[in-house]
Amino acid sequence: MTARTAGTLDAIEAKLQAGERLSYDDGCALFLEPDFLRLGMLANQVREDKHGDRTFFNVNMRFEATNVCEASCSFCAFAKLKEGAAGAHTTTHEAAWKELAEHPDPRLTELHMVNGLHPTLPFEWYEELLRGWKRVRPGVHLKCFTGVEIHFFAQKFGMTHEAVLTRLRAAGLGSLPGGGAEILHPDVRQRIATDKANGDEYLAAHRAAHKLGIPSNCTMLYGHIETFEHRVDHLLRLRDLQDETQGFQCFIPLAFHNENNSLRKLPEPTAVDSLRTLAISRLLLDNIPHIKAYWVSMGVPTAQIALRFGADDLDGTIIHESIYHSAGSRAPMALSRDELVRLIREAGRIPVERDTIYGVVEELPRAAVPEGALKVRDRMARKRSLALAGN
Amino acid sequence: MVKRKPGLVQNRYRRDTVDHGGRLRVVGVSFLNAQPLLHGLLSGLADDRMHVELAEPAELARRLFEDEADVALSPVAPLATHGGLEIVPGCAIGCDGAVESVKLVGDCPIEEADEILLDAASRTSVVLARLIVRHLRAGKAEPRYCARPAREIVATVGGKTAGLLIGDIALETRGKFRYEIDLGQAWKELTGLPFVFAVWAARPGVVSARDAPLFTSSLEAGLAARPQLAQAWARGHGGDAEAHLAYLNDRIRYQLDERALAGLCEFLRRAAEAKLLPVTELSFVGQDKPAFSPQRASVDSLLDYAADGGRLSFQDAMRLASEADTHELGLAADARRRTLHPEGVVTYIVDRNVNYTNVCTTSCRFCAFYRPVGHEEGYVLTREQLTQKIEETVAAGGVQILLQGGLNPALHLEWYEDLFRWIKATFPIKLHALSPEEIWHLVRLEDLTVQDVLTRLRAAGLDSLPGGGAEVLTDRVRAKIAKAKCTSAEWLEVMRVAHRIGMRTTATMMFGTADTQADRVLHMLKVRELQDETGGFTAFIAWDYQHDVGTRQVAGETGTVLYLRTQALSRLVLDNVPNIQTSWVTQGPGIGQIGLRYGANDMGSTMFEENVVSSAGTTFGMDAAQIERHARALGFKVAQRNMRYERLTVPA
Repeated sequence: MTARTAGTLDAIEAKLQAGERLSYDDGCALFLEPDFLRLGMLANQVREDKHGDRTFFNVNMRFEATNVCEASCSFCAFAKLKEGAAGAHTTTHEAAWKELAEHPDPRLTELHMVNGLHPTLPFEWYEELLRGWKRVRPGVHLKCFTGVEIHFFAQKFGMTHEAVLTRLRAAGLGSLPGGGAEILHPDVRQRIATDKANGDEYLAAHRAAHKLGIPSNCTMLYGHIETFEHRVDHLLRLRDLQDETQGFQCFIPLAFHNENNSLRKLPEPTAVDSLRTLAISRLLLDNIPHIKAYWVSMGVPTAQIALRFGADDLDGTIIHESIYHSAGSRAPMALSRDELVRLIREAGRIPVERDTIYGVVEELPRAAVPEGALKVRDRMARKRSLALAGN
Repeated sequence: MVKRKPGLVQNRYRRDTVDHGGRLRVVGVSFLNAQPLLHGLLSGLADDRMHVELAEPAELARRLFEDEADVALSPVAPLATHGGLEIVPGCAIGCDGAVESVKLVGDCPIEEADEILLDAASRTSVVLARLIVRHLRAGKAEPRYCARPAREIVATVGGKTAGLLIGDIALETRGKFRYEIDLGQAWKELTGLPFVFAVWAARPGVVSARDAPLFTSSLEAGLAARPQLAQAWARGHGGDAEAHLAYLNDRIRYQLDERALAGLCEFLRRAAEAKLLPVTELSFVGQDKPAFSPQRASVDSLLDYAADGGRLSFQDAMRLASEADTHELGLAADARRRTLHPEGVVTYIVDRNVNYTNVCTTSCRFCAFYRPVGHEEGYVLTREQLTQKIEETVAAGGVQILLQGGLNPALHLEWYEDLFRWIKATFPIKLHALSPEEIWHLVRLEDLTVQDVLTRLRAAGLDSLPGGGAEVLTDRVRAKIAKAKCTSAEWLEVMRVAHRIGMRTTATMMFGTADTQADRVLHMLKVRELQDETGGFTAFIAWDYQHDVGTRQVAGETGTVLYLRTQALSRLVLDNVPNIQTSWVTQGPGIGQIGLRYGANDMGSTMFEENVVSSAGTTFGMDAAQIERHARALGFKVAQRNMRYERLTVPA
C-alpha cells in the first residue's frame, strides 16, 4: 500500500516535471497521499515556477447589500429567508454609498459584494447601487455578484446571462467574485444547495462573463458532505471551463464552517485538509494563474503557512465580513495593509499590492533577512520523506 | 550545601559595564594550571590590545557564544558545540600521560561500576571519561551517569558507584580511593597521544595575526615564572608550593604542537562518533578556512546528518535556520521524530492550568496577566475556588493540575506546603507546579537553597516542574524583556537540582521578542547540555510571543512559518530530549496539527483553562475530542499520557 502511494507521488512529480497535465486519478491519489510535506513541496515548486516569491494582496472592503435570500443552502449561517425575519437586513442606497465614500483608506482599490437572492428588489435597484458607487469613488473596482446571483437575475428578470452582465457592466461592474460554486457535482449540490443555480448554470454565468471580457474568480466549499472524488471533479470542471475561456484569475478554496447552520453536526475540516486541498488545487489547476489563501476561511496562521503550500495570494484587508463570521470563523474582522505585508514577509515572500485584475499597485521589498535559498536542491529529500516508512 | 553559585550572581547582566576601549575582550579562568598562560597578560604585557578578566569556568563558553567575550581560555568541548570558533595557535592546557587532576575513582574497578557520578563542571572531562569507560567496558552496556556536585561525589563513591573528580578536589584526594584511573594516562594508553583540555578559543575573525603571538608571549613569561606562580598559588589558595610546582612542571603540557593537535583531533573524532559532541573541523586564527568537510558540504547533507540523529553544532543549527527550505526542515524533523517515536502515536495530557495568583513583582514587558502588589484586581485563589477547579478537572478525566502563578511576596513556603499537602490528600491528582522563577522567588524569600526548597515542596506533594519562564535563555534577551527575572544560568540551576533529586521537568522557549536566531539556537543548546548532564527533561515546547492588549514588549521575529521552522529545528538540535510538543495555544489548533509534521509528537494539554496567553488576546481552545480528531486527520494514533509520558490509554 505504501509502495503504491509512493509510486504515485513519484509518478505525479515526473509528470509535473515533464509539463504534463494531471488526471482525475492523479487528483484522487493526491488526496490519499500520506506524505503531506512532499505534496506541499510539489505545490510550492509549481507556485514558485509561476510567481517566484511574489505574493499578492489588495486593499479591499467587503459589502453585503442584503442577507435576505430565497435559497436555503444547508451550510449557510448568513442568509435570512424573509425580509422582516430576525436579523434580516437590506441596505439603502444611501447607506451603501456612504460606506464607500467614508472608507478611511485612500489606497482602497476594490469593493467586494456578495448578497442573498432577494425576492423583491428590482434589477434597477442593483444598477443604481453600482452607479452610485461609481459616482462616489470612480477609481474603486466593483467586484460584485456571484455566478449564482447572475443566474438568479437572469431567471427572475427574464434575461440571458449576457444581458444581465452587459447591463451591470454598464452600471459599473468590473468583475465577478468566485462565490456560490460550493461543490459543482450534482450528487452533492442537490443535497446542500437545492434551490439556486446548479453547477452547469454557475459555470454558464461565468462563461458568459468571460466571453464578454469580464474576468472572474472561482471557489470550492469543501469539508462538509462531499468526498475527495467530488473535489477533484469540481476542480476539473473549473479547469475545463478555463481551457475554453481563460477568464478565471484566481481559485479560492473555502473551508466549511459549522456554526449556526443546519450542517452543524459535521466537524470542520482541519488545517491539514485545508493545506492539502490548496496544494492539490495548485497542482490540478495548471491553467488558473492564482491560488488564494483566504485568511477569513483558513485562519491567519494557516493562511500564512499556505503561502508555502501553493498559494500566492492572501486576499485583502476586508474590513468587515459577515458570511464566515456568522458560521463561527474566529479570524479577525480586518487585517491592516501593514499586517498583510508582515505576514507575507514572515513567510519569506515578496509582498505585491495588486488591484482586482492583478495589476501591480506597488511591489514592496522582501524582509531584510529572507528565508534563504528556498529551492528544492536535490532529490535527497526523498530519503527523509514518508514514502516507505508510514507514520 | 551549595547556595547560589557566586559566579552566577556576580555576572548578572554585567554586559558592557566595563569600557573595553576597543580592545579584545579576553576571559581566563582562575585555575592553577591556567596561571602560566595568563601570566604575561595579567602582568600588563598586552594591556593596550586586550582587556583581560577572570570568570567561573562554566561562564567561559557562555560568554564566547553570547558575544560577551572575544577570546576565552575555553575547554575544547565548546569548540565542537559551537563549530565556528578559531583556536589561537601555539598554546594549550594539556597533558602527555598522567595529569592527576582529572580522574575516575571508585571502590570497585571502574569498568565494573553500575553508576558513575560526574562533576559536570567540565564537559570536556566528562566526555573524556565516558570515552575511556566505554573503552574499558569493551562493548558492555553503559553505566548510569548522574551529575553531582564534587563534594557529594567524594562522599558518595562506594560499592558499585564510581565518580569523576576534576581539579583541586582530584589533587586533594590522591590515594583516598581503592581504584583510580588517571584520565590523562588512560588517554595516552588508548591513543598514544597527548590530551588537550583547553585552548584559547576566539570568535571567528576577531583575533588578528598581530595579536595572536601575544598569547604565546604571555605563556613564555608564565613558564619562566612557574616557581613564583606556584608560591603565589599556595599563599592564595593553600596547599604546598612544591607540589603545585611539580604539577605545573611535570603534569601539564602547554604546547599546542603537531602531537597535541593530533590528540585533540582524535578526541573530537571519537566524541563525535559516540554522538557525545557534534562533528567538527578545527580552524585557527590567521589560517584559511578549514578543509572541505563532506558531512557539511551542503544544506542537504546537513539535513541528512541531522535527520539521522547527528549532533548539530551552533553553526550547523544556524545554517539550517537560515538556509534550509521550510518543508525540508519539516521532513528532516519528521524523519527524526519517526525514529524516536516509530509507532506513529501522538500523545496528549488531560490537565488544567490553574493560576493561583496574578500578583507578581517582576513586571515583564511581554505579560498582560500580572497585577502589581496592592492592585485591586490582584487575587489569590481560595480553597473553595481551587476545590471547584480541581473537582471539575477530575470529573473531566484530568490527571494533573498545572499550577503556576506570579511572584507574590505574601505567599511563603509554608503556604505552598500546606496547599500541596491539602491538594494531594483531597484529590487523586498529580501536581505539575511552580516554574523555576517561582522556585527562586521562594529561595530568596526564605533564604534557603534551591535544593532545600525543592525537597520540601516535593515532600509536600510536588510531582514535577513545568518549564515555563525560560523565555529565551540568553542573558542579553532576558535583560531586555524580563529584567527582574532569574538569569539563564539560574533557571537551568533549578532544573539541574530538580532533576538531581529525581523530579522530571519540561523545558520551554518563548520566542519572538528581543531574540535573534542565534539566541534561539543558544537556548536549545543550553537545554541540550543540561539534558546530557541530567536526562531530566521530558519534553521541549516552543511558543511564540503573543503581542496584544496589555503587553508592552514590541513583537520581534514571529510568524507561523518561523514557528514551524523553530519547532522543526528544536527536534533536530535536541537530540537527547524525547518529546516535542506543538503549541496550539498560541498558534491555534490548525498549526498545532501541522506541527505534528514538523517534529512534534505530542499535542500538549487540553488546557481547559489558560489565563496568561489569553490575557494577551489569543483564545484558542481544544478539548480531548478535538485534539484526537486533529491528530488522526494526519494518520496518527492517539493516546492520553501523564507528565512522564507514560501512556494512560491504548493508542487508537
